[in-house]
Amino acid sequence: MSATAPSRQLILDRISAATQDAAKDAAGRAAAYAALPRGYARRGLLNKEERVELMIERLREYDAEVVESLPTELPAAIEARLATSGRRKFVVPTGVPAEWGAFGFDWKLDHGLITAEVEQAEGVVTAATCGIADSGTIVLHHTAAEGRRILTLLPDWHLCILLASQVVETLPEYFDRCKQPPALVTWISGPSATADIEMTRIKGVHGPRFLHVILVRDESSAETYRSAAHTELRPEKSGSARIR
Amino acid sequence: MSLSAASHAELDPRLAAPFPKAVLPVLRNPQLRKNVAHAIDVIQAKRGKLVAEKRDWQELRTAASAIRAHALENLGAYLEQFEERCTAAGGTVHWAADAEEARKIILDLLRQQQATEVIKIKTMTSAEIQLNPCLQAAGVDVFETDLAEIILQLGDLEPSHIVVPALHVNRSQVREIFARRMGLKNLSDDPKELTNAARAFLRQKFLSIPTAISGANFLIAETGSVAVVESEGNGRMCLTLPRTMITLAGIEKVLPRFQDMEVMLQLLARSATGERMNPYTSLWTGVTEGDGPQSFHVVLLDNGRSSILGKEKQRQTLKCIRCAACMNTCPVYRQTGGHAYGSVYPGPIGAILTPQLMQMKHAQSLPFASSLCGACYEVCPVKINIPEVLLELRSQVVDQERKQAGRIFDPMYLGLRIANLIFAGAWRFHAAQWFGRMGLKLWTRKDGWIHSLPGVGGKWTQTRDLRGLPDQTFHQWWAKRAAQSRQEGK
Amino acid sequence: MHTSLFITCYNDTLYPETGRAVVCLLERLGVEVQFQPKQTCCGQMHANTGFRGEAFSQAKRFVRLYQDADTVVIPSSSCVAMMRDQYPGLIEELGNDELRKQYEALMPRVFELSEFLIDKLGVEDVGAYFPHRVAYHASCHGVRALHLGERPYRLLAKVRGLEVAPLANVDRCCGFGGTFSVKNAEVSSAMLAVKLQDVIATGAEYCTALDNSCLMHLGGAMHRQYAGMKTIHLAQILASTEEAPAEVTL
Repeated sequence: MSATAPSRQLILDRISAATQDAAKDAAGRAAAYAALPRGYARRGLLNKEERVELMIERLREYDAEVVESLPTELPAAIEARLATSGRRKFVVPTGVPAEWGAFGFDWKLDHGLITAEVEQAEGVVTAATCGIADSGTIVLHHTAAEGRRILTLLPDWHLCILLASQVVETLPEYFDRCKQPPALVTWISGPSATADIEMTRIKGVHGPRFLHVILVRDESSAETYRSAAHTELRPEKSGSARIR
Repeated sequence: MSLSAASHAELDPRLAAPFPKAVLPVLRNPQLRKNVAHAIDVIQAKRGKLVAEKRDWQELRTAASAIRAHALENLGAYLEQFEERCTAAGGTVHWAADAEEARKIILDLLRQQQATEVIKIKTMTSAEIQLNPCLQAAGVDVFETDLAEIILQLGDLEPSHIVVPALHVNRSQVREIFARRMGLKNLSDDPKELTNAARAFLRQKFLSIPTAISGANFLIAETGSVAVVESEGNGRMCLTLPRTMITLAGIEKVLPRFQDMEVMLQLLARSATGERMNPYTSLWTGVTEGDGPQSFHVVLLDNGRSSILGKEKQRQTLKCIRCAACMNTCPVYRQTGGHAYGSVYPGPIGAILTPQLMQMKHAQSLPFASSLCGACYEVCPVKINIPEVLLELRSQVVDQERKQAGRIFDPMYLGLRIANLIFAGAWRFHAAQWFGRMGLKLWTRKDGWIHSLPGVGGKWTQTRDLRGLPDQTFHQWWAKRAAQSRQEGK
Repeated sequence: MHTSLFITCYNDTLYPETGRAVVCLLERLGVEVQFQPKQTCCGQMHANTGFRGEAFSQAKRFVRLYQDADTVVIPSSSCVAMMRDQYPGLIEELGNDELRKQYEALMPRVFELSEFLIDKLGVEDVGAYFPHRVAYHASCHGVRALHLGERPYRLLAKVRGLEVAPLANVDRCCGFGGTFSVKNAEVSSAMLAVKLQDVIATGAEYCTALDNSCLMHLGGAMHRQYAGMKTIHLAQILASTEEAPAEVTL
């Protein structure tokens, strides 16, 4: 960094000269920031049932396959999904509950898996942090139950377990739920796509081409599975086994 | 080894032909015009539907404009905060005063890695500093990973749009390029098959090349995070798999807080691709142990931005979030595509950004490449008043012209100076009208119309007739009528 | 009611029939029309081509000339836009406080023609008769600078005998753009060609608008191409009656 120290000062001096209207100090800046107009909608208008249905509808618009499940039926629902996938080899974040898996499949927990091992997997199963119904977006904070970013990137098939209690309607509502900004976030709104060739939308360029979601109808806030919204800023090292 | 980049003359503002000349081959290319119109019609239709359904669209625009203006107003403090937080999180922040310095910093980083190959996520900023030719010249193989960028790279073509850079290339052209450069003889022109070819081609690169270069959609000051917005997943590949990540970002990309993304993300995808949300948005902060690149560098680029910052009417140019809604709606861009602008930033935003980045020394025809219809301002998610900036830049170009000796030979310059003298007094105006009418009689045919004119007038009559000047002006009619009624009143 | 007509430099010279129609129409509606003989130009051509310095004197001239007018009516949305959008900046730069006050007092009394009819006079039916199929071209300044909205359509709807032919891509610029039409003549012509396709496709006999600038451009191409369609300013349609049909010289 010291190699560019002269440029750093040069640029900051130029900026300073160019922004005579800058706030004089941090307090002034914070006050100006707080006074910015925010007349946009924070909250959605839908009730919980409608919200979840919108989430499912938007996911399906992106060709994600969605099934619903009660909390007690979740392991069976997962097994059914895995069985119909036609795939056998799965990688799994270490923080995923034990009841969610194995079932006789090739089930590798991510205890420091090397890239080649992840590359050979046919699918991945994870939890999520949040679902944003308006855009059908699944949010991952890459906690122990969601896994390192490579896990939801290399395999072609991703099964995501999303709790109804994790679903909000609007993007601002997701941000309101973040107690503090996360270090890593991936917002997923359907499988990857391109429209670069004559604006024809083609699904699945890089990243999983097949996204499956199990929407768990958990009704109470006393969750069976801890919502990842409560995790800390820096996720756990993936090497340690954790049931969260 | 020279660090100066080989110029791609077509998109180098210092070398490109002025806009009125540069458009000529494009206007005569029906295929290109059709491709461009088709692409922007698709995006526009999708965007229109989503904007109509978004009840707080105008409030979002207002907030986004205010957030970006505030960030620019306090840019120094926010950049320093970003640097501090990014560094604390394990990243390294570099500052590049200009394009050459940015190239040097990146090349030095690559040499430290002994990198001979890099994978890249599409970033217009790297095209702005002409990074690729510089790296190639230094023996580093650059692999673009966006589908559009591969098409352009393998086809040796130039981008013509900032979001859909290959929109001017159709499927059979893509087939031809891939078949030739990827050695795939039996490739059809089906977009799905073409995309699969690209997927396979790139997979190996992602898994084996340890160094990546990206741009940034947003730099978050509060946390020192970087956000990348994309559709294809190649961005996620580049920012997850390699050992070393280098992010090049203009200094203006700063947002104060993580939460400000709640506004930007609602506007960006709708404006850029007509979707509620693009498939993948990634945000990362410095280095995360065990997840992703363990060596992360941010190169902050000035390259003319700080001088734009200091100019009152022009600072708003830097609010841009590179959504390209302006060029999708522009009736001029629709006919010309991007190459005619002679810059990696085309369309309305390019018409104001490019000459400013060039310190108004080049690209002086660009502020005039607009009919001032205002459609761009209407759709800009951060409310950049592009027509206002165009007018400001026009007056700067003319002020430069005033100092040049050759100006007295420019018919437009002379004409406008004379017109101003004429409008200064009614009698002068009326006299000029009379002279004009007399003079134009020479070219007025029996049908009362002018079909051709010499000089500058000929630019009108190339494609349009002009009705001959009526024998009586309105004010003459009025005066006569007033005189008549006075007479009758007696 | 009185109003002072600012005819605009190009209407005075090229389209006096539009001015005559405005006078005829307003007098029919009981408005007394005045005309300042010293008027010349609003300065738009200069300001838009980068000759800001030259526009100052023209802005001053307009404000001074009309400061005592009850109202000013202008049959050109681009000229009104110039006055609303650009005069404030020019006047502020001149630093003349008195001029600024005069300008601020004057502007609420300055109307584009359709604004004058609908907002000031409160009329939509002006007693017009024009039995033809007509396409309305929404010029950019009218749409985006003045936000005229439905006003021209409401006026057209009340013209007896007139059939409005809907125009596709109605908000898309025709490509005139002032000096753009000459400085970038080829692009201007390309935009014109595309616009003309939509206009001709309406099957209308006439294309009308609130700006003769756009109509000069569209009409010039129609004439060149023997397109079988004519242009006519909206004022001339509104002034047209059974007894005194509109002057159409194209």
